Amino acid sequence: MPIANVIRIMCCVLSAHAKIADDAKEISQECMSEYISFITSEANERCQRKKRKIVTPEDVLWAMNKLGFNDYIEPLTLLLHRYRELEGDHRSSIRSEPLQLIKHCSTPASFHP
Amino acid sequence: MRQAGTYSSMLAGGMSGRTGPHSLPLARIKRIMKQSSEEVKMISGEAPIIFSKACELFIEELARRAWAAALRGKRRTLLREDVAAAIANTDLFDFLLHVVQNK
Repeated sequence: MPIANVIRIMCCVLSAHAKIADDAKEISQECMSEYISFITSEANERCQRKKRKIVTPEDVLWAMNKLGFNDYIEPLTLLLHRYRELEGDHRSSIRSEPLQLIKHCSTPASFHP
Repeated sequence: MRQAGTYSSMLAGGMSGRTGPHSLPLARIKRIMKQSSEEVKMISGEAPIIFSKACELFIEELARRAWAAALRGKRRTLLREDVAAAIANTDLFDFLLHVVQNK
């Protein structure tokens, strides 16, 4: 995981005068990778138990809840719903006939070819 | 490509088409997910998007707790030992104990 991203996130919650030692940045980066692996393993087990082949966001959210990251569920669920709404709007605008597209779009500039 | 457009515009709060300032690279997340276990075969395109935000929340929490340890040590520089202390003091982070102990 790019360490610059990790540092940026950390800096946002620290005070303006805070500094971060290089080895603290590196260990945080490793922790993030470990977090992804930890949750994914549990999500994958659930996926396999249900005899599915594709790990879904629902599997990931279930795993997070099971492993104690309950506080994350609400904001992540909102994010997922918002993403799906936007993706649905995007797909319907692409598939629509031009006449229908004009009805859906507020301005012609929002047309996506 | 379309997926990235929706993802980036959602996080940036606009239609700039660029990824937001805190968004993590989806391809990298997906790679880590696949490396977590040989049994992980296929991953929904939406799963890395969820992880991108989840990782932000996770690092924020880790950093806050580590910072609290730094302040207890009367320092304004966050050290590796502060991250280790945050992990040791938080039951939720037990899965990270081997990460700090192996070094």
